[in-house]
Amino acid sequence: MTGEYFKIALKNLKSRSLRSWLTILGIVIGIFLVISLLSLSEGLKQSVMGELQMMGGDMIVILPGDTGDMITTMMGGVELDDRDIEAIRRADGVEVVVEMPFSAAIVRHFQDTETTFIYGVDFNEALPILRHDMGWEIVDGDYPRPGRREVMVGNLVPKDVFEDLLPGDSVVIKGKEFTVAGVLRSLGNREDDLSIALDLQDYRSITGKREGTPVAMAKIEDGHDPETVVGNIERELEDSAIRRRDEERPSFTVMTSETVTDMVENIMGVLQAAVIAFASIAIIVGGIGIMNTMYTSVKERTKEIGILKAVGAKKKHIVSIFLFEAGIIGLVGGVGGVVLGVGLAIAAEMVLAGSGMMFYLEAYISIWLILFGLTFSFVVGCLSGYLPAKQAAKLEPVDALRYE
Amino acid sequence: MERIIELQNVWKTYFLGEIKLEVLKGVTLEVEKQDFALILGPSGSGKSTLLNMVSCLDVPTSGKIILEGKDVSKLSEDDLAVVRGKKIGFVFQQFNLLTHLTALENVIIPTIFQGTPKEERERRAKDLLVSVGLEKRVNHRPAELSGGERQRVAIARSLANNPEIIVADEPTGNVDSKTGQVIMDILKDLNKEGRTVIVVTHDTDLQRFANKVVKIKDGEIDDR
Repeated sequence: MTGEYFKIALKNLKSRSLRSWLTILGIVIGIFLVISLLSLSEGLKQSVMGELQMMGGDMIVILPGDTGDMITTMMGGVELDDRDIEAIRRADGVEVVVEMPFSAAIVRHFQDTETTFIYGVDFNEALPILRHDMGWEIVDGDYPRPGRREVMVGNLVPKDVFEDLLPGDSVVIKGKEFTVAGVLRSLGNREDDLSIALDLQDYRSITGKREGTPVAMAKIEDGHDPETVVGNIERELEDSAIRRRDEERPSFTVMTSETVTDMVENIMGVLQAAVIAFASIAIIVGGIGIMNTMYTSVKERTKEIGILKAVGAKKKHIVSIFLFEAGIIGLVGGVGGVVLGVGLAIAAEMVLAGSGMMFYLEAYISIWLILFGLTFSFVVGCLSGYLPAKQAAKLEPVDALRYE
Repeated sequence: MERIIELQNVWKTYFLGEIKLEVLKGVTLEVEKQDFALILGPSGSGKSTLLNMVSCLDVPTSGKIILEGKDVSKLSEDDLAVVRGKKIGFVFQQFNLLTHLTALENVIIPTIFQGTPKEERERRAKDLLVSVGLEKRVNHRPAELSGGERQRVAIARSLANNPEIIVADEPTGNVDSKTGQVIMDILKDLNKEGRTVIVVTHDTDLQRFANKVVKIKDGEIDDR
């Protein structure tokens, strides 16, 4: 029998289609915001976390400058110099220090000349760490060997930079010829995947920069507590700065990979909470729209309610009809919102991919998010319709019939 | 004959703010099975309130209403809805059809609340529309029907759950006299089939259809 009340509700909505659609629109906007913002922010989180998870638990990240002005430091090109690296290396519990200076360079492959990123990494000391602790892996070709003028390239290099580049090909970087040993698996962000990795010595010699790295990573020796090692590194860096009698004492940020992950997780959490809060406001406004429409409807249809009661409708029948109407408005709004939201998320993903952003952003559209959107919109509809439905059911048949 | 509806000393009092308005003042009334009863009275006499009592749309302030031997004067609104749905068919002066539904859908509505199976509902509604001569109007909406046709749809609807009692409130009030005659003939036929018909009107001309006439004046039965 429930199906019948659903049909009656549907017919009622159709008989006031403009108003029904306008009310639906209110919900569409709310659900659209929820779906698009949540899928994009979740996608952002997944992509950033994915990148961070490649970094093992026993790594420490050292950046010049305070956490507070990280962006300024990175954009402004403040770097760790050799004395800083030495200080880190001296710290108790540090096994290996990985430096990774990078810059843009003009690279030639046969007749093709392109500008792309190159970076230096010590193939001898640092590459094994990257392989074992950060999941770097060559998927095509071999790992490059130190002292043989070999390089490895990100997985997008053979696709987006030099089409048809194969391991064994040679590339000319700043006038020096190198052999491509292998192609790396994706490192999780576009910038890295478009880059070419040289042995640190080769990098230094072709760029002419003898020292400096924007970021360093320290591998912790087995059996040392990460937080203690962080403290040791901080002390060493400070001592070294004092010895140098630097006029302005540089500050450093030393974090375990866990801290970094926590920090990003926190930021993402706040971002998502904000997204949910704003989208919820939109949905509440939509719900108020439904309530308004339903109250108006009860008022207008007082006589109709009286007729239904006269011919045998119980309170629960009247409630069902009005709840279905509100629920249908909610659900149809939800479907519209999901379609538009998913559409926008996919469109945003495509635009961002095309714009060559630094990291990959895949809209994270799970079936749960869609089900959540639909259920939520239906529930909001029913909740908004509940009070008006109650009011409708409460009408006395005699009074309702007399109403003009 | 067997009694189908009985009103015992029924009072109905309304309060309009401080003012106490006694609309029915101790009405006692009996309607027997297969009666064609006419409740006759001028406007303001309390006849509509009396109709509401007889048809279980409302409950009295005091007194008893016995329907088929059962006191219905203290029933809850939902229980009254069940009684109305099963036992009473309504025909209103204003037709009171649902404007966004077709004639067929209007006739089907009462059966939905009784949980009648779908095929039976539709077959029955169609048969009823045919029986009131509206076989060509099944899928028309009320706005596309004449006053007489609308009232016939309303009669078909009143029969949807095959009730024993038909209650009609000024059924000829909104149609011309010729159509009014047709409507009354249909009601008379229904009476002949064995249904109890109760008509409320101010039109004394309708007395010729009835075998029982109850006159009401100022909330009391006028026995003169």
